[in-house]
Amino acid sequence: MSDAASGSALDDLPGELLMWVLIVSELLVFGAGLVAFMAVRLTDPAGFAAAQDHLFRAGAALNTMVLVSSGFLAAQALRWREAGARGAARWALVAAAALGVVFLIIKGAEYAAKSADGIGWDTHAFFTFYYLLTGFHAAHVVAGVVLLMLVAWRDAVANIQAVAMFWHMVDLVWVLLYPVIYLLA
Amino acid sequence: MKYETQKIALAYFAVAMALFAIQVSAGLLAGWVYVSPNTLSELLPFNIIRMLHSNSLVVWLITGFMGAAYFLIPEESEREIHSPTLAYLQLLILVVGTLGAVVTYVFDLFHGHWLLGMEGREFIEQPVWVKVGIVVAALIFLYNVTMTVLAGKKTAITNILLLGLWGLALLFLFSFYNPGNLSLDKQFWWYIVHLWVEGVWELIMASILAYLMLKLTGVDREVVEKWLYVIVALALFSGILGTGHHYYWIGTPGYWQWIGSIFSSLEVVPFFAMMAFAFVMVWKGRRDHPNKAALLWSLGCATLAFFGAGVWGFLHTLHGVNYYTHGTQITAAHGHLAFYGAYVSLNLAIFTYAMPILLNRDPYNQVLNMGSFWLMSGGVVFMTFALTFAGTVQTHLQRVLGENFMDVQDQLAIFYWMRFGAGIAVVLGALLFIYAVAVPRKEIIEPGAAETPAE
Amino acid sequence: MPALSNRLIAAWAWLAGLGGLAALIAAGVGQGVPRRAAGAAILVLAVLKARVILARYLDLDRARAWLSGFGWAVTLWAALVLGLYLV
Repeated sequence: MSDAASGSALDDLPGELLMWVLIVSELLVFGAGLVAFMAVRLTDPAGFAAAQDHLFRAGAALNTMVLVSSGFLAAQALRWREAGARGAARWALVAAAALGVVFLIIKGAEYAAKSADGIGWDTHAFFTFYYLLTGFHAAHVVAGVVLLMLVAWRDAVANIQAVAMFWHMVDLVWVLLYPVIYLLA
Repeated sequence: MKYETQKIALAYFAVAMALFAIQVSAGLLAGWVYVSPNTLSELLPFNIIRMLHSNSLVVWLITGFMGAAYFLIPEESEREIHSPTLAYLQLLILVVGTLGAVVTYVFDLFHGHWLLGMEGREFIEQPVWVKVGIVVAALIFLYNVTMTVLAGKKTAITNILLLGLWGLALLFLFSFYNPGNLSLDKQFWWYIVHLWVEGVWELIMASILAYLMLKLTGVDREVVEKWLYVIVALALFSGILGTGHHYYWIGTPGYWQWIGSIFSSLEVVPFFAMMAFAFVMVWKGRRDHPNKAALLWSLGCATLAFFGAGVWGFLHTLHGVNYYTHGTQITAAHGHLAFYGAYVSLNLAIFTYAMPILLNRDPYNQVLNMGSFWLMSGGVVFMTFALTFAGTVQTHLQRVLGENFMDVQDQLAIFYWMRFGAGIAVVLGALLFIYAVAVPRKEIIEPGAAETPAE
Repeated sequence: MPALSNRLIAAWAWLAGLGGLAALIAAGVGQGVPRRAAGAAILVLAVLKARVILARYLDLDRARAWLSGFGWAVTLWAALVLGLYLV
């Protein structure tokens, strides 16, 4: 019965259905948050532009590289595991997690610099969104690092696939979030 | 009835339905006070009537959930309930606690006493001793059903049901924490009130609905389980941080306005998924189950929950809107349709399904039962519209034009009369329902011969 | 080390290249690059990056209908953001 109508389209999706439900949900949340950010920006474009100048754009650009490279390693790890190269897959997962930590260090430095300048979440509406959206994203990076290490240990194909999907979702959110918050002047 | 201990559910359902009758009667009385404000103002003040209305609602819904668990867990895990004695003892504790709470409220006994007096926090006004009793009963219940499930077969339905019931009990523990700071008080208070109805209760709802769909439509368990997992994931994803929509104006930091608005907007999604689930299952199902009334209640539950909890919730969940509508009759409109659709209808669906089996009868009085569905649902839907219009007018006059609260209330009288009329229909519907499931008649709908349930 | 997947290397190179290009365009806004055109370009690049992740990292190459569905959703979202940016 599942094959006929509602089953077939969903069965085309690679990987676990629940991970896709999560990916769509996260995209909706971040998408709505970024749209709200742009809408609130209309009320004070000059203030938003001035606030954005406090951001460390080069660090964010570097973090994009870090994250897409980490995503590459996670995707490659799954391919290797499927091909039976368990050792290589494990190392790739550990390396992906390590890059996740690098991302967090750069992000942490960014937050520390803001804090040193006396900038908090309530300094300006821009920073409320900045902290909410990047902070929520960074929390997912933390979770991703833990999960990557976990599947480097418990390395069933299905486990690696589910975590890699989570990690790619974190990547995907970043490539949409980074341009809107850091680059749109 | 395959298992002897499923019979426990009968006692739970009976208590639940008795409290249901009390709940709607108190509601009708409260509705009358709205049109004639001095009624009983000395003997039984409005706030007490409202407490009886909301407390008995919650208690009977939970009693119904527990009965449902005792009914469906033996069948799902293919085991008798671990200890029927404990199950009846648990019900006794709940009944004593409920009566104790009612007596304490009505006569305001032991005013201000830390253990025996009413606590005065909306919905968790119960005296501390009653709260302790609730926790003891919940522990007995969880021990009993968990032991049964652990000893038997584990299905997605029982797993999700247990997750929901454990969550329900654990979250209630926050009712013992009563900080002096009013903002903190409210912040933790919502861990119970919100995380129940927009969190763990949704898990209970989804699993009971899944069980009903499995039985009524005959769709493969595999398909039902896939839907169930997706619905549960969506409910938890949106519901947990959706708590933020209660943190807009209670003194919590401003970022909650965005967290609450965004996550709670997504709370409509699991309710939509439940509605889609119910209709897709019926559409795909091959079984022509004789209990048409149970199917009607199930579909009605999923549909009215989507509108009441989903659509009416979304209406005022964005903080820009809620800034104006907060605490108006819009909230009352949402509260009524959401509770009725999601949790009242769900309980009545499982009662309708289970009662003929428990009483070892054919599904009698289908027509009366279905009539009670339309009468009650029509009443609640009409009430919802009346209160929505009242709330809209109230928002405009009071929040936009800045008129005085009581002056505005006078102008809403027509809507309160309409709500009272709708309340009469609901009470009659509730009594009709109880009669239809409890009192047998010689009227049987033949499988396949009957009309299809209205959709 | 076992062989690397060429498709994944290509995806990584695209992501790095598109990301770098977006950063360069944004850096050029103060130095003569028109602000509005830069905004549009940055968002187009974001959509392209999202598509690469969806297609290659998340394997939607194997489910073209879903890839185009997600692609459309991201494009519409970017159009909305651009609209809010340009008004």
